[in-house]
Amino acid sequence: MALRTMGVDLGSTTAKAVVVDEAGGIVAHRVVQMGAVSRRGVAAAIDAVLDDAGLERGDLGQVIATGYGRRLVPDVDRTFTEITCHARGVAAMCPGAALVIDIGGQDSKAIRVDEVGLVDDFAMNDRCASGTGRFFEVLARALECRLDDLDDLALAGGQDLEVSSMCATFAETEIISLLAEGEEPTDIAASVHRAVSARTLGLVSRVGRAAPVVMTGGVARSRAAVHFLAESLRAPVIVPAEPQISGAYGAALLGLESLQGETRVIGQAVDREHVHTGQQPNGRDCSTCSLGRAKYQPIDVELWTASIAADRRP
Amino acid sequence: MNAILDRLAEVAADPDRYVVEWKRTHPDRKVAGVLPMNFPEELLHAAGFLPVVIQENNEPDTEGRVILAEFYCGYTRNLADQAAKGRLKIYDAFFLADHCVQLLGAADVMRFKQPHTPIFFGQFIASMSEPSTPARVRGELDHIVAEVERSTGVPLDHGRLAESIRLYNRDRALLRAVFDARREGRVHLSSKAMQNLVKSSMVMDKAEHIALLEQLLSDGIESHDPHARVRLHLSGHFCHAPKQALLELFEDCGAEIVDDDLYHGRRYITTDVREDLEPVAALSQWYFDRNVNVPCPTRVQHNADWDTYLTKAVSESGADGVVILMAKFCEPHMLLYPELRKALEAREIPYLLVETEHAGLPMETLRTRVEALVERISRRAAVAAS
Repeated sequence: MALRTMGVDLGSTTAKAVVVDEAGGIVAHRVVQMGAVSRRGVAAAIDAVLDDAGLERGDLGQVIATGYGRRLVPDVDRTFTEITCHARGVAAMCPGAALVIDIGGQDSKAIRVDEVGLVDDFAMNDRCASGTGRFFEVLARALECRLDDLDDLALAGGQDLEVSSMCATFAETEIISLLAEGEEPTDIAASVHRAVSARTLGLVSRVGRAAPVVMTGGVARSRAAVHFLAESLRAPVIVPAEPQISGAYGAALLGLESLQGETRVIGQAVDREHVHTGQQPNGRDCSTCSLGRAKYQPIDVELWTASIAADRRP
Repeated sequence: MNAILDRLAEVAADPDRYVVEWKRTHPDRKVAGVLPMNFPEELLHAAGFLPVVIQENNEPDTEGRVILAEFYCGYTRNLADQAAKGRLKIYDAFFLADHCVQLLGAADVMRFKQPHTPIFFGQFIASMSEPSTPARVRGELDHIVAEVERSTGVPLDHGRLAESIRLYNRDRALLRAVFDARREGRVHLSSKAMQNLVKSSMVMDKAEHIALLEQLLSDGIESHDPHARVRLHLSGHFCHAPKQALLELFEDCGAEIVDDDLYHGRRYITTDVREDLEPVAALSQWYFDRNVNVPCPTRVQHNADWDTYLTKAVSESGADGVVILMAKFCEPHMLLYPELRKALEAREIPYLLVETEHAGLPMETLRTRVEALVERISRRAAVAAS
């Protein structure tokens, strides 16, 4: 049986599992969303990724757990923090990356990495959910839209409103106040994204700016979040094709390294979903973001309001 | 488990109980509550008091929670809470010699809640290098002596003061022996046990504490094998003790604490009072000496700074990194932190800043940050070795 290792990342809102081969290539990966630090979620992710890889648990040379719930993952050989694992995973996925910004469901981190994926410095939010996936959920709730709709909404916003509070609870109140003042939801969404990006910039400043910048975590799937971060950093932001699995991938690589007894940059450079410059030369569009371009259109607010009224979440 | 360490841990865990019991067995004596960090306890001891550095307790702040603003540190807000709950009534007088605004706020609450308990305040000058400073320190010390005499109604016996100084020096020397042995790798006591040694010293009758320490050193310390991946220096945390759950977390994450400059650690025990000088002059000199031995950010001294001390201490202990423990809203520490950070970065010493509060530390988040520091250090060492 060829050598295989698995990395399992049990985050605050999702569980991720990645199996790699002896060269560090990704054999299979899964992301499962099933409640907060969910044991069922992590079991589902592990079962699914083993099924995809055609393996049994006993076929794995090492299983490494990471993430906020790493100590809850059963039958692992050891654990690493998500900081170490994201650094390692990104070094393989995006060789040459110097700064990793990871924004997950409940926390955010800035990690400065060296060329072999070792952590030079890191900073993470304390207990505040500001600027995390949770914060965007609060924003979506306040604007009465689906989380998936936030990107289009925010990217259609023009006016920069003052959103001073970065506490998720107080920000919701502030958003409601802005709505009551008659401000456009698009402008509110854009302004909140700008405020969150400024907050992330604070984390980055604690470790020092470096480039290239890679964004990982569930929030990296948001075009708007990436766009406004790039705008705030005034630098391109690279997003791997699967930004949520970099921690689990890094864990699997660390397991592989411990078996092979060496630390070097192995692994699989992945396709980059887009390199977002944060510049909008044509007013609305991103010059390099082929995936998002078609959606970066101004929103008809009346139509949008009518549509969410018909599809309001309980 | 060592019975002496158990006893010291018991006192450290519940200082109030020790004080109440001591008063029961010493009905003709008084207990002085001392606020950190510079009051010369020897004066109170010589005057017949049991000097006790008032400790933060582990209860949630409730009755006194709103008395001081939220931007006061956890220690001072907890002091206010203790005062509001009547917990400080076990003390017959309060003494302080530091002019931290937050500490003075807590003292005001104590004065308001216990109007019949005298509070004596001396203010040592913080600018250590002025030509006039020695005279002003001596003048303030004379003022404190007068306050102590006022509290007892009898003149201070300088012969007894010299004896108290010898006693305190002995206690500090014994504690330093353990701290030095830890730094040199000759004993491996948990950082919780090390804190208990110092915290109990701040509370117990010194003669009793010395007897226990002498027995402990004579018996030998049964210490655990740390199996630690990295060696860390703990820095900061003035006035009150870091939570023991936090200290345990460091060790649980694979670190061994090899040295510190905490107030509930080496800072408290670092400097003896000279026994070759007139006692009050010696206490005056002690104020200067201790700021050289472990500089404090609350003092300004041209020829001593904490960042230089810290990097030198790390070099001497061979620590792989530093955890800076900062009580949230501790202004002197916050103001000096950029200098500490620059000094550590200039020497490529990995460090982690951990802000502490009286309650509600996000332990799992802290675990991730501490583990990440340990991994950062150990992985870097592994790569360098390969």
